[in-house]
This record gives sequence, structure tokens and C-alpha cells, in this order.
Amino acid sequence: MMGNILLWLIVVPLVGALLILTIPREYTNVIRSLAGLTAAVALVLSLVLWGMFDRGAAGMQFYEQLEWFTLGFMQVNFEIGADGLSVPLIALTTIVTLFSIVASFTIEHRVKEFYVWTLVLLTGMLGVFVALDMFLFFLFFELTLIPMFFLIGIWGGKMREYASFKFLIYTGLGSGIMFITFIVIYVQAALVSFPDPMSFSIVELTEAYTEGAAAGAVGGAMKGGMFLALFTAFAIKLPVFPFHTWLPNAHVEAPTAASMILAGVLLKMGGYGLIRVGFGIMPDQAARFATLIAVLGVINIIYGALLALVQTDLKALVAYSSISHMGIVLLGIASITEAGMQGAIFQLVSHGFISALLFFMVGAIYSRTKTRTISEMGGLSHSVPVLAGFMLAAAMASLGLPGMSGFVSELMAFIGIFGAPAEILPQAVTLGVIAVVGIIFTAAYLLWAMQRTTFGPPKEKYAGLVDAKPMEYVPMVGLLAFTILIGVYPFILSDVINTTVIDLVSKIGG
Amino acid sequence: MLAFEATWSLMTPEIVLGALAMLVFTIDFMTGIHEKKPFIGRLSIFSLLVTAVLVLVMNPQGGQIGDTFLVDPFAMVFKLIILVGVALVIMMSMNYLDRNEDIYQGEYYSILLFTALGAMIMVSSADLITLFIGLEIVSISSYALAGFKKHNIDSTEASIKYIVLGGTASAFILFGMSYLYGLTGTTSLYEIGAAMPELFADYTVMIMISLLFMLGGFGFKVSMVPFHMWAPDVYYGAPTPVTAFLATVSKLAAFGIIIRVFTLGFESIYAEWAFIVATIAAITMIVGNFIALTQQDVKRLMAYSGIAQAGYILVPIATVLNNFSITVIIFYSVAYIMMTLGAFSIITLVSEQSGRKTGMDTFAGLYQRSPYMAVAMAIFLLSLAGLPFTAGFIGKANIFLLAINGNMLWLAIIMIVTSIISFYYYFGVIKQMFMAEPKPNAEEIKVPGGIQAVVTVTLAGTVLLGILPNLLLDLFTGFNWMI
Repeated sequence: MMGNILLWLIVVPLVGALLILTIPREYTNVIRSLAGLTAAVALVLSLVLWGMFDRGAAGMQFYEQLEWFTLGFMQVNFEIGADGLSVPLIALTTIVTLFSIVASFTIEHRVKEFYVWTLVLLTGMLGVFVALDMFLFFLFFELTLIPMFFLIGIWGGKMREYASFKFLIYTGLGSGIMFITFIVIYVQAALVSFPDPMSFSIVELTEAYTEGAAAGAVGGAMKGGMFLALFTAFAIKLPVFPFHTWLPNAHVEAPTAASMILAGVLLKMGGYGLIRVGFGIMPDQAARFATLIAVLGVINIIYGALLALVQTDLKALVAYSSISHMGIVLLGIASITEAGMQGAIFQLVSHGFISALLFFMVGAIYSRTKTRTISEMGGLSHSVPVLAGFMLAAAMASLGLPGMSGFVSELMAFIGIFGAPAEILPQAVTLGVIAVVGIIFTAAYLLWAMQRTTFGPPKEKYAGLVDAKPMEYVPMVGLLAFTILIGVYPFILSDVINTTVIDLVSKIGG
Repeated sequence: MLAFEATWSLMTPEIVLGALAMLVFTIDFMTGIHEKKPFIGRLSIFSLLVTAVLVLVMNPQGGQIGDTFLVDPFAMVFKLIILVGVALVIMMSMNYLDRNEDIYQGEYYSILLFTALGAMIMVSSADLITLFIGLEIVSISSYALAGFKKHNIDSTEASIKYIVLGGTASAFILFGMSYLYGLTGTTSLYEIGAAMPELFADYTVMIMISLLFMLGGFGFKVSMVPFHMWAPDVYYGAPTPVTAFLATVSKLAAFGIIIRVFTLGFESIYAEWAFIVATIAAITMIVGNFIALTQQDVKRLMAYSGIAQAGYILVPIATVLNNFSITVIIFYSVAYIMMTLGAFSIITLVSEQSGRKTGMDTFAGLYQRSPYMAVAMAIFLLSLAGLPFTAGFIGKANIFLLAINGNMLWLAIIMIVTSIISFYYYFGVIKQMFMAEPKPNAEEIKVPGGIQAVVTVTLAGTVLLGILPNLLLDLFTGFNWMI
């Protein structure tokens, strides 16, 4: 047990948070370094995990199960494990969190609490990606809610309180739906397997619903309802149109570091949950609702892009671009092909890096220009060439420039959708074509925004701005490096996820 | 005269507590009524703990005194909850009483001891008369406690309102009981239960009237809708530790008798009333949570929150009444009493040190004024809202599971949606504590020992049961609750 690296991953940030609690609040530099150190240790652990992970094996690795508590016939376990779906997301989480902690070294207001909450958030996020018991999964999912509420509400922009409450209620509602559905899924299976005990284990439930007793015994209408409810729950987090309205508020008001984590990791929990629980447990329902998911994906891509096009606030533009990009995840998932599923996971990881970088750039520029209004910027390439350059690079990555990670994930998702089996997704080609057209809008809003902010004649008022500081190079270079790494050498990622994806898709197809 | 073999030793805890309460009363008279009397407070806590030990050492298989007084695991656990609850209320009151010179301390303590005695009799009773006596001991003592700040107009108003409405509720209960007695000729719940299936076939309407009147009367005590109107005013006006008492011990003891009466008396016609209770539970959750959204006063907020919590506890009663659902209810009761008492002790502290006001803004910047208290309050509120790693979450999760398992999906959905709505107002207080700046003239918070102790104990319980719920669940699962 003590040797389980996943357990250490969850515990380390918590220990870091507790250590920070013991430090007097005046020692801000000690607190900052300790927070950075904790995140770095977590990052190292996740890289060790990456190295130790057996690429060839399907199923869970680093598996651990401990009895937690029982209630009547219900058994809740502390059950953790990782497969090719969770390992990349664990790495993404630690990387983005470390960079966001570095990016927040400039925060001077209530430093101690800021890092305590960030590290608690890190625990919650890692917990979601390693939990294999639905109850535990839910606990960690909810645990991320509280720190993010505080991060937005205390360190956010002008409308922070409104944004934090909107975030709380929306995602809380998602969690509520999720919890009810989990219990329904569990109770249905437990009734079938009665008198044999049933745990909340995702692995066990997946087996029960795909091959075991519950596969035939639970009715189609019930399963359909459960799948749609689960989809709604995760759709709020991802977010999927029409449940996306919390996102622009939360992203725009959140402090830079929180925006990075929010877009970089928290949204991915929605996609992860959808694949792990929704597709894992009810693959037949995933196939049944593939068209619906694909249509929503296309709506997300186009609607998000159109809204991004009309934004006047640079941060809001990036926020809406997240909605648009999450549409690609849906599209890839809905194709139910290996390529599409890989594309979806690639997109989760790739967008994690790119959106974190974009939000960091917006934050860095805002701290200098004191405005995020696009029309008031302009000529930044003259006044802050390095920042403008990195921002341009991030925008290029976001619109899917070949050689960067966004391109790989979009390409694979589209290969998936065009190759989708006709009996599952009859309108695949039509949807694919519409989505590709939607991608053009992405290029449009990003290029137009870059033109208005970085290019153009230099503005008088921005003449004296200081360009990138050494500390800012760390997140900029780091995040961009990962984007390019995945872009030019996608094998590094596909190697890890491949076996799991093949395993997953074979269940849906069959 | 009716003569029966009675094992009076089963009542040892009650007799001892009664005697000690009298002793406290007498000592109070002998030492002059206007003094500060911390020793009487300590003596009262000691009395409660002695009684708790006496309850603990009893044989859990217990027994009964002539069908009227039961000792079974259900009664014993409820008694422990009550005794510990009242002891914590006294601990949080001691400093409050010292700061409020218009309260006669000795009377306050002895009356609280009598309420504990009454509540113990309530949860042990298997006879309508015994039950009513226990209930009235608690009620009349509570009326007095609510008006204890007698020069304070709000407190007096609270007391008057409580007496008038509480008296009406008692009349409801008696009216319902009279039908049962009229039809069966007995006050024993066992005999009533045995006769119930046949009676119900013959006198459906009268039995339902009786049941509804009793439910309404007990429902008043637990503040279920539509018998909840008194709660906000009484909670607001009563001295804050008394509010804590009303919200916890008084409410839970009433839940104890609802479960007892419905299990022993009405279980055979479960199908007839389950839907009624379910509807009331749903309305209670909805009304409590929605009206709480608009509250600007912490005590009123807690009143509506308490109404909503009563709705949650009604859900398992409406779903199924068996050993398992009683486990769920009792676990939630333990969680509830800890988080609520913890929250109220902090409300007592903050309002006393913010010019005796209880507006939401008294909590502004509490984190700067007293970090420990702010964090503790946040955890209590998170637990009340049902967020993870708290006792409240586990308790609610159990209730969900039970409801879904019992084909009450709609009720579970209402419960979860209203819970999420409750995030809004619980986090509203958290927002005040962590995000708002303290008022410029805010006093520095000095935490008296009693409140520190209550907060620490309840906080430890709330977190511990959230992380290791099997500490209690395993124990409870082994119990055969009712004999």
C-alpha cells in the first residue's frame, strides 16, 4: 500500500497544504517556495508514473483496494488505479498546476490561503483521475468545488462573487445529477447481483454492465436514462451547450492561475468522467446516443467559435474558445473509433496545455496594459515582443497549426468522425464537414484577435511596458514546449493511451 | 390498582438525573439567585455525564416496564445523543450567561436538566401517556427557556409565540391520541399496533385523522412544513444557546417519538401514510431551503436550514421503516447534532462579541478576527450543505441510497436539488467570513473555554465521521434497534 505511487500523488499535495498551514503568513516567500516544491514533487511522481506505466497492458495498473465503510448491503472502498486514460491526465494536472503556481508568485494578497487552496485543489483533481470507486470519484469531484469557489471568490476580478456562486451552483448541480445517477447505477446492479454483495467499484460495475448479470437484466429505457443523466452531469463540467453559461463568468473573473487550472484541468474531469464512467459502464448506450453527442459536439465547436468571434474581452474570447475546443472532444468520442477516441484524449491533454498557456498570456498582458479589451490593445509586438510572440504561438497552437499538439488532436478526431461506422453514426460525414467548417471560424477569431492585439502600429501608452520577466518564462516556455513536443512527436502520448483506447472501443463496437 | 412486576432499575438514569436536577435546583435557591454560578453549570454537566454513563452501562437488550417504558438500543442511543447534546448546550451557555446579567443562572441549568429528563422519557416511552408526559416536560421547559431574557422584547415574544403554538400542537397530539384510545381502549402502543390492521379496515377515516393530527403535533416540534411557522421567530428571539437546544435536542427527541409511534403503532398500515410523509418531506425540504435563500439574519437562516434538515430526516421515515432506515436516521441525527451545535456555538460567540446582533454581516471577515472559528464554522456549514469528507455528507448519502433503493427516486431528486440550492445560503455565510473585510469597529474575538471545547469536540466529530463513518455505522449495523 505505502509503495503505491498513486496514493503518494494524492497525499503529497495534502501534506504540502498542511505544512503551509503551519507557516506564519508573513513568510510569503517560504510559502511560495513550499507550494512550488510540493507541486514539483507531484510532477516528478507523475513522471515516474509515466515511466513505470506498462504500455502494453489493458486494464488498471497500480491498483489498490482498501475497505472503507459499509452501509447495509453497500460497500464503499478506497479503490485507486490508473490506465492509459488517466496517466496522461495525471501528468497534465501536475504540470499545469506547477506552472500555475509559478505564475501566481506575483500574488500578494492572502498568499498563504491561496496556496493552501491550490494544493487542496490539486489533491482533488488527482483524486478524480485515480479514483476507481464511484463514491470516491464523487468525493474528489466535489472536493475540487470548494477550493475553486474560494480561488475565484477571493482573488478574482470585479464580479468575483457572482462568478464564484454561479460556478458553485452550476457545477454543484452537475455533481448532484452525477451522484443520483451513480447511486441508481449501483442500486440497479446490486439488485441484480443480490444476494452477492456489490461494491461501488467502477471496474466491477463496468464488468457487471458489459458482460455480467446487469447487462441483460437492466432495461434499455433505464440504461438510456442513466446514460443521459450521466452525460448531463459531465456535460456541465466539460461544458457542453446549453450548460456552458457558467464557464465564461468563472474564467473571466478567476485569477490567472485559477483560470489556467480551470481550463487546463477541471474541464477535463468532465471529459474523463464521460469516457471512464459513461462509456466504460454503458458502451451500448454510448453507441445509441452517438448522434446526439456528435451533434452537440458540432454545436459546441461552431457556437463557441461564433461567440468567441464577437467578444471584446480577450479573456472571454479565450474562455469561449475552450467551449469550442471541447466540442472536438465530444466529436471524437461520438465517432466510436480508435482514432476518434484517441483524438478526444489527445484533445483533452493538448487543450490543457494550450488553454493554460493562453490564459497565462492574457494574464501577463493584462498585468501590464491593465485592460483586457481587445480594441484598446494593439501593437504589443513592438512594446512587449516576447510576450506577444508567445501569445501568437499559443494562438497558433490553439487554431491547430501543424507541428503543435492542437493539430494532432483535431486531425485524429476528424479521421475518427469520417471513419465512424455508419450503423452507429449515419450522419458522420455531414457532421464532420460542418465541424471542419467550424474550425475555420476558430482560425478567424484567433487570427483576428491577434491582429488587433499584437500587430498594428505601436501605441504610445504601451511604450514603457516591461517585457517578460524571468519568472514568466517558466510557464511560457514549459507549456509551449509540451505543446510542441506532442505536436512533433505524438507517439510519446499515443504510446501510453493506445492499448486502453483499443480496449475501450472494442467494447463499444461489440 | 393495577399491579405488575416492574424492573424499576431500568429507569435508574432517569431517576438519578431527576434527583440531580432537583439538587441543582435546591443548591441554586440556597446560594442566592442573582450570582454568577459557574459551579452549578459544572455540576449540571457532571450530572448529565453521570447519567450518560448510567445509560451506557445498561444492558442493551434492556427490557420494559409494563409496556410503557422501554429500554432498547434505540432508546439508549437517543438518550446518549440527548445527554451529550444538553451537556454541550450547557458548555456553550456558561460564558453567554456570564455576559447576560438578566438571566438567572441556576434556574437555567436546572430547567435544561429537566428537558433532558423529559426527552429521555419521550424516547423510551411505549405508551401514549408516558410519551405525552415526556413531551410536555420538554415543551414547558422549552417555553420557559425561550423567554429567559425576560427584559428583552424579542425573547419574550419568542416565548409567547412558542407557548401559544406549542400548546396548540399539544392539543393536536392529544386529539389524535383520543381517537386511538377511543377505538382501542388502550394507550399502549404495542396493543394499538396489534389492533391496527383490523381497526384500519373498520375505521379508516378515524385512524387517518388520528394519525394526521399526531403527525401534525409532533411535526410542530421537528418544524416540518406546514407546522414550521414558529421556528424562525422563536429561534431569532430566544437566547442563542437555547436556540441551539431547540434546533437539536428538542427536534431530535421529537423525531425519536415519531419513529417510535409510527413503528410500534402504525407500521402495519405503512402503505397508507408513507406517501403523506413523503409529500411532507418534499414540501419541507423545498420550503426550508427556498426561504432560507432570502434570510439576512444568521439565526433565522439556521431556523430555515433546520426546517430543511428536518425534511431530510423525514425522507427515510417515508421510504421504509426497518432496522436499516433507523440506522440511517440515527447516523444522520448524530451528524446533525454535531454540526448544528458547533455552528450555534460559533453564532453565540460571534453575536455576543458583535454587539448582540445576529445579522449576516456580523460574520464579515471572521477569518481575520478568529481563523480557527471561521474554519470550523465553514466546516460545519459544508457539512450541513452535505459536501464531502464531512459527517453531513455521509449521512445524506445514506439517505439518498435508502430513498433510491426504496423506489423513491423523485424524493431523492428533490432532496439533492434542494441541497444544491442550500449551497447558496451556506456559502453566503462562508463568503462573509472569508471574502468580506471585518467591520472597522469589530471587536477582537476572545474565545471562552466552553465554546472552544464545544467547537473542538463537534468539529472533531464532524470530520471524523466524514472520513471514517464506519466507526459508528459498524456499531449501529449490529443493533436490533427496537424490541
